[in-house]
Amino acid sequence: MHEISLVEGLFQQLRDLAAENNTTRITTVTMEIGPLCGVVLDSFQFGFDILSADDEMLRGSKLIVKIPEVQYRCSDCGHVETVAGPKPDGCPKCGDLLLIPSGGEDLMLLQVEME
Amino acid sequence: MCDTCGCPSPSDHSHDHNHDHSHGHSQTKTVDVHASLFAANDALARANREHFDEIGAVALNLISSPGSGKTTLLEHTIEALKGEINIGVIEGDIETERDADRIRAKGVPVVQLTTGGACHLDAAMTHKGFHRLQKEPGGDKIDLLFIENVGNLVCPSTFDLGEHERVVFVSVPEGPDKPSKYPKAFTSSQTFVITKTDLLPYFDFPVEEARGDALRLNPNLRTMELASPTGEGMEKWLDYLRELVAAMKARKNL
Repeated sequence: MHEISLVEGLFQQLRDLAAENNTTRITTVTMEIGPLCGVVLDSFQFGFDILSADDEMLRGSKLIVKIPEVQYRCSDCGHVETVAGPKPDGCPKCGDLLLIPSGGEDLMLLQVEME
Repeated sequence: MCDTCGCPSPSDHSHDHNHDHSHGHSQTKTVDVHASLFAANDALARANREHFDEIGAVALNLISSPGSGKTTLLEHTIEALKGEINIGVIEGDIETERDADRIRAKGVPVVQLTTGGACHLDAAMTHKGFHRLQKEPGGDKIDLLFIENVGNLVCPSTFDLGEHERVVFVSVPEGPDKPSKYPKAFTSSQTFVITKTDLLPYFDFPVEEARGDALRLNPNLRTMELASPTGEGMEKWLDYLRELVAAMKARKNL
């Protein structure tokens, strides 16, 4: 729901970064989007596409998204399952349903390529 | 310097160097950033929390769908704790002063933040709101600050406001499936309150199912059920608030 405003915040950060590096053109933006950070990937990409199309500095730039793994610790047997995709339904070892996630909550700007 | 390979960037090229790789990339520059997009909000939230600690005010961030009964619960809470705990309220809504008017009528300091369309409060709005609140009559001695977030079970859960605890509310008419459908509001909260339990006879709301789903997501959740107009379950809620305030006072007096 607030992906567009997050992209606006990102663009402000990119403008500052471009100014620091004396560049007016950004070609590639690499982000890490944690599965638990509350950001919908498709909406973020959509926001990036429509806002970059309107932006001199970012027009035609590419968004690369990396999705970090999340570790789920079983609250019963302590088994830790590391998952890149959706949350597992239950512990693969004992079947318990209480899994405590760790990681995957951040939205990071990793790297920027500029000309 | 080019950050990728260490070769000089175009601006400091003298063209007398002798390395042998291709210069096809000499126009591009790669910068490693590793900065969280939430970092600015989180830093401000930490500053807010430190400020609340300093003045000894417990801050609670109240999250729910629109219409779960947060404002009504606050009205009853203010009545019940009058003369015992100094309460202040920050009301977040997209438009109107209505909620603030209702709280003001109860005689406690309140400010209304209208986000003008934004789906959540953030740490910056909270910071400004709290400074406005401190200028209201009674705003200089707050023990317990309620921050009533914009009615929304999705976005507010991503933004730390600097609260000490987060409370998520689900009312009986909404149905018991909210914890499963909106997990982040429950995994990021410390307390889960089911409201409007006086309506249980009229709705299909298995309390155990809602509570069980929420605890599956977050085994550390404190849970309670109440109906503020009838007073049912209110003592547990009020005791929870009293304990938070007493713990803060004890920390301050150490």
